Amino acid sequence: MTERTLTVTSRTHPSGATVLTVDGELDHHTAPQLRAAVEAAPYPPAGTVLDLTRLGYCDSTGITVLVTGYHRAQAAGTPLVLAGLSADLLRVFRIVGLDQIFSFRPTVDEAVAALSS
Amino acid sequence: MLGTPEAAPSRTAGERRRLDAVHRYGLLDDAPDGALDRVAALAARLFGAPMATVSVVGADRIRLKAAYGPTGARELGREPGLAASAIERDGPYVVPDTLRDPRTAAHPLVQGAPGVRFYAAAPITTPGGDRLGTVDVWDTRPREADADRLAALGELAALVAEELEGRLAAARTLAAERRMRTGAERLARTLQRTLLPPALPAVPGLSTAAAYHTASPDEVGGDFYDLFPLADGRWAFFLGDVCGKGADAAALTSLTRYTLRAAAIHDPDPGAALATLDAVLKAEYQDGDPRYCTAVFGVLESAPDGSFEVVLAAGGHPPALVLRADGTSRPVPTPGGQLIGLLPAPHFARNTVRLDPGDALLLYTDGLTEARTDDGGMLGEDGLADRLADLAPHGAEALLAAVDKLLGDLGDGVSDDTALLALSVPARPAGVPPTAPVHPALADPPRPTAPSAQENR
Repeated sequence: MTERTLTVTSRTHPSGATVLTVDGELDHHTAPQLRAAVEAAPYPPAGTVLDLTRLGYCDSTGITVLVTGYHRAQAAGTPLVLAGLSADLLRVFRIVGLDQIFSFRPTVDEAVAALSS
Repeated sequence: MLGTPEAAPSRTAGERRRLDAVHRYGLLDDAPDGALDRVAALAARLFGAPMATVSVVGADRIRLKAAYGPTGARELGREPGLAASAIERDGPYVVPDTLRDPRTAAHPLVQGAPGVRFYAAAPITTPGGDRLGTVDVWDTRPREADADRLAALGELAALVAEELEGRLAAARTLAAERRMRTGAERLARTLQRTLLPPALPAVPGLSTAAAYHTASPDEVGGDFYDLFPLADGRWAFFLGDVCGKGADAAALTSLTRYTLRAAAIHDPDPGAALATLDAVLKAEYQDGDPRYCTAVFGVLESAPDGSFEVVLAAGGHPPALVLRADGTSRPVPTPGGQLIGLLPAPHFARNTVRLDPGDALLLYTDGLTEARTDDGGMLGEDGLADRLADLAPHGAEALLAAVDKLLGDLGDGVSDDTALLALSVPARPAGVPPTAPVHPALADPPRPTAPSAQENR
């Protein structure tokens, strides 16, 4: 199979934060799945974590969806943190300036801690 | 009416319409058809008869699309009496004893092999009401047909009509999709060609070269570049990459390219040009579907000593690479330059670099640096610099030829389109003294192209 696959699961952390876990590769074929999850997320006052620990690849369409999430969180007035980005992706995200709108944390726990700080 | 086709030299409008339907459903070929074979077998079993067919009535011939039992030839004349007559009526058509019935007594299949004595048929009727042919049962002995079996035969014929309708719909959908896809691809390719200048203009004192490498023939990417004169004698250039692929990306590329050129007329400051583009993209795509691009915009100004000062601004784009005459190279950092058209208050980073004779500037899109090398890691900026190091002094053409070879060597590792723009100041002829002033932007020493790769695995 050369088709890229992606799954997105949503859960509520004991802190009340929403954690969206993204597993797979994010490109213009799979982005609609994450877009649907990002549109449906509640953006609770306790904040939202996008867990990207198992994100293997992210192209420009994927970045568009992540930014949609940022806009949703902004509109709800609640914080959003990205967790677990690989070194490669972190480097690319920094080049394109996403580090100036997103907070990055190595793990979900650290991301949840950052939400309440 | 029964028995009339032979007597009618010119076809009625209804028969012309029926024949159009036969052709539209593609029923006159002799390709084997497993589904219809099973229908014929089922019809024979239903009547306990030795033969059954699914027949299609053409203009002059009847084709047995499926046949069960020793029916003989797969194509017959359109003599009246059997299928040719059965399609003249709406319901089932039954001849209990063909030799005693004037409609059929003279038919070749009755008079000769296989000696049909009993014939029962149900018409295959399209949703439009055209009777294409029959599902029919043949026996070599006279017999009666009860109403239940005839009703079941009608159901089989209806099943065949539904099957044919489904096939037609599938074929139409497929053809429509193919047409649309071909059209969209052609449009996108045409658009993309119009988005790149057919040839770069000649800039006095500078060598230039540009190239566009397509990673996939059927997915059009959205990389772009341009080089053009400004009213005050300076030159401007840009290179970038819009998000997404296909016709949408091509439309976005078009908007981006013309916006940047128009912006440069009003205010050639590179940062101002990118800010204008940012505002235009946000206004164009404000309804919830963010679209953005990354770009480097530069302004070139020649100095009396033959060097060029390049003022660069970048948004979300990999750094341009300066290759010095002495074989060293370094990226021109534009850190903090954000994606264009996406962020509430973006910042576009600026930098200035001087190109002396023998120096070159390479702009590229991330299809190049994100290409995978043999070890599975990305080529990266350092990898790119390393592989171009031994080319000094770098002419623009030679530089792009080297990158072209590099992309060829990486082969399948290149998964995205790559746009390239190279600018080089021709090396000074021997005997001309070098000029001194070091530009402030070059205060940090150029790093040698050592094979270090801190971020690349």
